[in-house]
Amino acid sequence: MKRNVGAAFVTGLYLAAGAMGAPLDKRQSAYHLMSSENQRMQDDLSINPAMFWLLDGQALWMGQGDARSKACFSCHGDVKTSMQGVSAGFPKVVHGRILTLEGQINHCRVEHQNLPAFEYETRPLLSLTSLIATQSRGMQIKMSESREAMPFIERGRFLYHQRIGQLNLSCAQCHDDRAGQRLGGVSIPQGHPTGYPIYRIEWQTLGSLQRRLRNCMTGVRAERYDFGSEELQMLEVYLMHRANGMRVESPGVRP
Amino acid sequence: MSSPSNTVVTLPEKVRRGEVFEIRALVRHEMETGFRHTEQGVRVSRDIIREFTCTYNGEEVFRAMLHPGISANPLFIFYCRAVKSGDLEFRWMGDNNYQTILKHSIVVL
Repeated sequence: MKRNVGAAFVTGLYLAAGAMGAPLDKRQSAYHLMSSENQRMQDDLSINPAMFWLLDGQALWMGQGDARSKACFSCHGDVKTSMQGVSAGFPKVVHGRILTLEGQINHCRVEHQNLPAFEYETRPLLSLTSLIATQSRGMQIKMSESREAMPFIERGRFLYHQRIGQLNLSCAQCHDDRAGQRLGGVSIPQGHPTGYPIYRIEWQTLGSLQRRLRNCMTGVRAERYDFGSEELQMLEVYLMHRANGMRVESPGVRP
Repeated sequence: MSSPSNTVVTLPEKVRRGEVFEIRALVRHEMETGFRHTEQGVRVSRDIIREFTCTYNGEEVFRAMLHPGISANPLFIFYCRAVKSGDLEFRWMGDNNYQTILKHSIVVL
């Protein structure tokens, strides 16, 4: 078991080129807003509850539980080497469409394994996503700024700044303008998606970035975009681009 | 780390005699409180772990009673003094005849 994987986050300097949102040197993962106990729970995989999803993910990767088709392992080999750094570049834009990590897993399921796609937020999909994301732990987020990707990033930026819901608030009004201030008893984070899928103590389970985004939409009393919708995908692309150069923390723990 | 995959128990493989070592026992469990309702208003019945014990060569060294207020996937971190080589047995018991037992050997030098 690797220890102190997370130590790098504490001292890590977030260097990035071409990132958006808050000025570079002021960008901060919400990791730094957590108690030292919660930080320890994230850093030390022997007490990080996401470990159960990682174990499930590893079993799925090796093909346990579905004998109908070949396993992820038979094409990709050892997840530790083949998936290293992969999640740091997701979501991607492929053939004019956004491809999230979940989408890529399901693409493999349908196209190469001849198996039905996983539903969003189901245990197997979260397990595989978190297994793959963990292989980029400590690496810098590296989102593409290709001509193909930019329109989606821009549309995501528009959604991020659009006022929504009965409270008539945009993401930016809290997570850019008021980050670091308090909402009730908690600090408002800058909203960098560095640790997804996260084990959220409030949820008592592991959840995806889209679940978290829908959470905020409930908070401002807006109609939530559906899981897998284009809007949530564009927000994901924008937020990951905004966090370009920050370190991947998956599997993250948040209160 | 140990299987089955619904538990993660971490302790040193080898300890010196007389030394105090740390044991971490994390178990996967929803810990359904029994106080929640579905969207249709139906009460979700309680399903929690009630008891966790650890024995060292058959002698009980740690016991905890759990209640509905305890979070999902409960984690216990506790300490034990190394006496002699043997087995540590971890047992989680709860509602609906839930039981998970894990054995872990330890070498005392």
